[in-house]
Amino acid sequence: MKYDISHKTLYRYEQPVLQSHQCLHLSPRLMPHQTVLKHALLIEPAPTVRHDSVDAFGNPVVLLEIDHQHDVFVVHATSTIAVSTPAPIAPSSSLPWEKVVDTVRNGAPPIDLSVLQFTCASRLTPPSRAVAEFVAPSFPKSRPMVEAVLDLTRRIFTEFRFDATATDISTPIDEVLRLRRGVCQDFSHLALACLRALKLPARYVSGYLLTRPPPGQEKLRGADASHAWISVWVPELGWIDFDPTNGVMPTNEHIAIAYGRDYDDINPISGIILGGANHTVSVSVDVDPA
Amino acid sequence: MSFVAQNDLVAPADLLADYGDPASRRGTHDELLGADGTVKAHWQGFLAALSATSPAERVALSSALDRRVHQMGIAYDIFADPTAPTQRWTVDPVPLIISAGEWRWIEKALTQRVRLFDAILADIYGPQSLMRDGVIPPALIFSDPAFLRPCQGIRPPRGHLQFFASDLARSPDGSWRIIDTHTETPAGIGSALANRVAHTHVAGEMFKALKGRRVAGFFQDLQAAIADLNGHGAPRVALLTPGPQHDDYFSHAYLARYLGCLLVEGNDLRTDEDRVYLKTLEGLKEVDVIIRCVEGRNCDPLELDPSGFGGPVGLLQGVRRAPGLVTNAIGSAVVQNRGLGIFLPEICQRLLGEDLLIQDAPRRWLGDQTARSEVMGALDNIVIRSTQEGAGRPGRAAVGKRAANDGGDPATFARDLAMMGDRLVAEERVGFGTTPSLAAGGLAPVPFAVRLFVTRAGDGFTVMPGGLAMTIDPDVSLGLSSPEGKTRDVWVLGDSAHPAYSSLWRPTVEAAHVARSQRVTQSRAADDLYWLGRYSERADWTMRVLRSALQRQQEDGVPTDGRAASRRCLEVLLTDEPETAPPYREQADAAAIDRLTRALIAGTVGIRALPRTFDGLYRVASLTRDRLSLEAWQTLERFQPGSQWREALTASRSGAALDLLEEGLASLAAFAGLMHENMTRNFGWSFLDMGRRLSRAFNLSEAISVLFAQVPGDDLREDEEVASLRFLLEAADSFITYRSRYRLDPMLPLVLDLLLLDESNPRSLAFQLAAIANHLESMPQASQGIALPEERRKILQLTTAVRLADVRGLASGDRMELAKMMDQMIRDLPELSNTIARRYFSLLEAKPQRLRTRLGNSP
Repeated sequence: MKYDISHKTLYRYEQPVLQSHQCLHLSPRLMPHQTVLKHALLIEPAPTVRHDSVDAFGNPVVLLEIDHQHDVFVVHATSTIAVSTPAPIAPSSSLPWEKVVDTVRNGAPPIDLSVLQFTCASRLTPPSRAVAEFVAPSFPKSRPMVEAVLDLTRRIFTEFRFDATATDISTPIDEVLRLRRGVCQDFSHLALACLRALKLPARYVSGYLLTRPPPGQEKLRGADASHAWISVWVPELGWIDFDPTNGVMPTNEHIAIAYGRDYDDINPISGIILGGANHTVSVSVDVDPA
Repeated sequence: MSFVAQNDLVAPADLLADYGDPASRRGTHDELLGADGTVKAHWQGFLAALSATSPAERVALSSALDRRVHQMGIAYDIFADPTAPTQRWTVDPVPLIISAGEWRWIEKALTQRVRLFDAILADIYGPQSLMRDGVIPPALIFSDPAFLRPCQGIRPPRGHLQFFASDLARSPDGSWRIIDTHTETPAGIGSALANRVAHTHVAGEMFKALKGRRVAGFFQDLQAAIADLNGHGAPRVALLTPGPQHDDYFSHAYLARYLGCLLVEGNDLRTDEDRVYLKTLEGLKEVDVIIRCVEGRNCDPLELDPSGFGGPVGLLQGVRRAPGLVTNAIGSAVVQNRGLGIFLPEICQRLLGEDLLIQDAPRRWLGDQTARSEVMGALDNIVIRSTQEGAGRPGRAAVGKRAANDGGDPATFARDLAMMGDRLVAEERVGFGTTPSLAAGGLAPVPFAVRLFVTRAGDGFTVMPGGLAMTIDPDVSLGLSSPEGKTRDVWVLGDSAHPAYSSLWRPTVEAAHVARSQRVTQSRAADDLYWLGRYSERADWTMRVLRSALQRQQEDGVPTDGRAASRRCLEVLLTDEPETAPPYREQADAAAIDRLTRALIAGTVGIRALPRTFDGLYRVASLTRDRLSLEAWQTLERFQPGSQWREALTASRSGAALDLLEEGLASLAAFAGLMHENMTRNFGWSFLDMGRRLSRAFNLSEAISVLFAQVPGDDLREDEEVASLRFLLEAADSFITYRSRYRLDPMLPLVLDLLLLDESNPRSLAFQLAAIANHLESMPQASQGIALPEERRKILQLTTAVRLADVRGLASGDRMELAKMMDQMIRDLPELSNTIARRYFSLLEAKPQRLRTRLGNSP
């Protein structure tokens, strides 16, 4: 599948912003199942300084500094990306999950650090007894890895309600676990905390999801959203994606932009401004099959 | 104190009575006495000197040291939040003495360690081969919040470490072991230096006689190394601190002052096109080197911990442009991870090709499964602690949790360890050697640990010949934890290779130059000093009014008919907005005045009530502590919340209150005098003085307005006005001037001339306004552009109004002119203050705010 993706973020400030620093993770990275055919990043007002580089996880990152007064800030990322469907996996035929821990954590050198690093808890995915209790039923002794992760994914999907008002950006996962509500980011962090509490390698993926309008209705412009899910590493199979928000293993309708330990590492737009007072933000995302 | 070296001296029994017999100390190590009970050679000189003193002299020495420590502000942290509980810090008059021979070995061992850690950091933030080859378990590093991903690939030109410190303890067999490593910040080096300065202040003779090595050379090396960091000489150096609320702030401030560099907080800095600037009154000034006392992950909210605003936004990008900008390099704390110790011997072989000279305390990283099961098998003597300790005040190391005391279900405990183990270490108790401490009867052995400091110098490293030793409770401590803050200086004895320096404070030409080039006034400091001026004047005026009012209540022989004036002046001080002051009522009985004075002395209503004023005064004084002399600071001590004086004043009745107010006024007068005499006339002074002048002008105008802006009529008798004039002259401290000039009962025109128009009277309105105008003219950016800046236009209007005023017109007839002029002052002076704040402190006002969007608001 080929997609045209438009992701436009617009900040309006009540008072002029004197200085703005922004860190953008909006440019798609190379992935085994994805090819970036086109990409452009439009920024207004023109930044005083712009650095394009690659972060410690290999994601393209853009650092901006705007030193002149402004009251509107726009970032518009457009990409054309081809996504192929990964080979199907039989969940029950994968290695027992303990073997995965052992291979990754106790394997002989040279150690693949790009995998091992994702077994460790991060700021937003801390372990706790509540997390351990929640994950345990999905990971009985010797259960095949993919089957177990899929079970965890589906339990989050069925036991939790999608509710954008129940949590906010700073709600810790123990609270999400208590509320049984949240958004894709919360569910992904919860799944990651669960897997990392068991020392399994799992990473946070940010990107987009193709959505379909209800039957008979036209798709609304700008109504798609950026999305987050997780990816788990299994020996011989490599990184396999799971979407706890939708209870599925993504095929070719999830388009990845970046991955990291958690949201903090690859937040699409994170910025710090001087001045500005109150602000409004509007985000419009369109994912169109091209 | 005289001192005679006697090498074959046998210690007098009375000094060592508390030591007991050698047999009772078997299995322990003591610094002073050998296993056979004889005094070790390097202690004999000190012991000889000490035994030449009488018990009374020793007590005197001890209290002199206590006093000095208290005065310097190490004892209880005067920089800290004044409402926080005081922190204890005492210095034992008996130092830890290290022989020249042992020191040579320690120097070698510590230098090896800092070289090793620097090499490890270069690998972790570079090729990562130690992790890839499994020499360091990768999960140890990846789970450490001090490992900062965005720093990957940054290569500081002079390595990651400028500052390094190790905490050492003696094991029972007499060998040294490392109990902690500090690679994040200078780690309390300022406290060690302050201890040395305090100790040699009271016992310098003994230090010299023993040929103790001075630390000045170490700091000169440090200064030179820092000056060299940006590669082009004479850099502007700033020490970045989390601020006065941090428990090691004393050490930061002391080090900054000693090195002659700026003491700044995150909000004092901003970045601009990848360069870092200091906000000063003269505009933005580029900073070339930052000595980092802020934890690495809190240094840049843009790329590091988004909740940490300890450094300027965008600092990391600044470091990528100039990798020598921040020292220690951001991210350096990862190697102080306690789990690393057990792997160091192998890493040392691999990176340096050397045997590790000094081992870490026996400690296991619980991210390792084998370590976990071994620990579970033998919990008795095991303590579990976090792998990372923050960069707090020395002596605050966490004591950890006894594994055996967990008490819960062993299976749950094992599961917890498995889950959390990546960030935990388990450690066995080994015990601490002892060193002599001055006790009532003589010397007594106390368990101790010591922090030693290393700095990069030239192409290598140099170890500070001194340190910070602390008394440890071996039953609870594994690291350098001394909640009681019992410390001692460390004296390293000199040898032929290390002659003593001639002076501890000998400046070098280079150092003097560096200090001079940094004379800029930080916007924040100007702001704080401005408020210091305002609060001290506010306190002064309020206490004067109270004094005059209480005298009229209290004393025989003063006119009692000034009560109306008392009442009006007190009432206006209790209202925040003068124009809403209650209308004048004739009845000003003693009870009403009593009530008003109580409200002003102990109340919580109104911003000018004394408790709030004193709180404010003490708070801004603490914030500007690094700019005040010791003496100036001491004059303000009584205003500290909860001080004896304040408690007494709050509880006092009028007679006692009068005496206490006199004391308070005397302190403020002393403070004003000291500032006037001692403060450099830079912009900081201008702001302090402007704050004071503005408040004084306002208070005076307000008092004149409430007392005289109405015509004396039926309800205000002529003799009442004389009494009011007398009251005003007292409050404005001009009674004697008036008397010597006129020898008459006060008359309104003459009083107004003296208090409003006479520019030679330092208490007059005209004098205050002229002084403010002078300061504003001398400001940087005072004359930019064509038009006069707003604040100078305002002050010109006010001075002109006063200069053109005619005293007979003001005092005559309907008092309309007087009322108008005073109204103008009462209205325009606060506005002038706001204008000054907007113009000079506005850089500070803008607090950065964080913007981020959340993902996926639809499923």
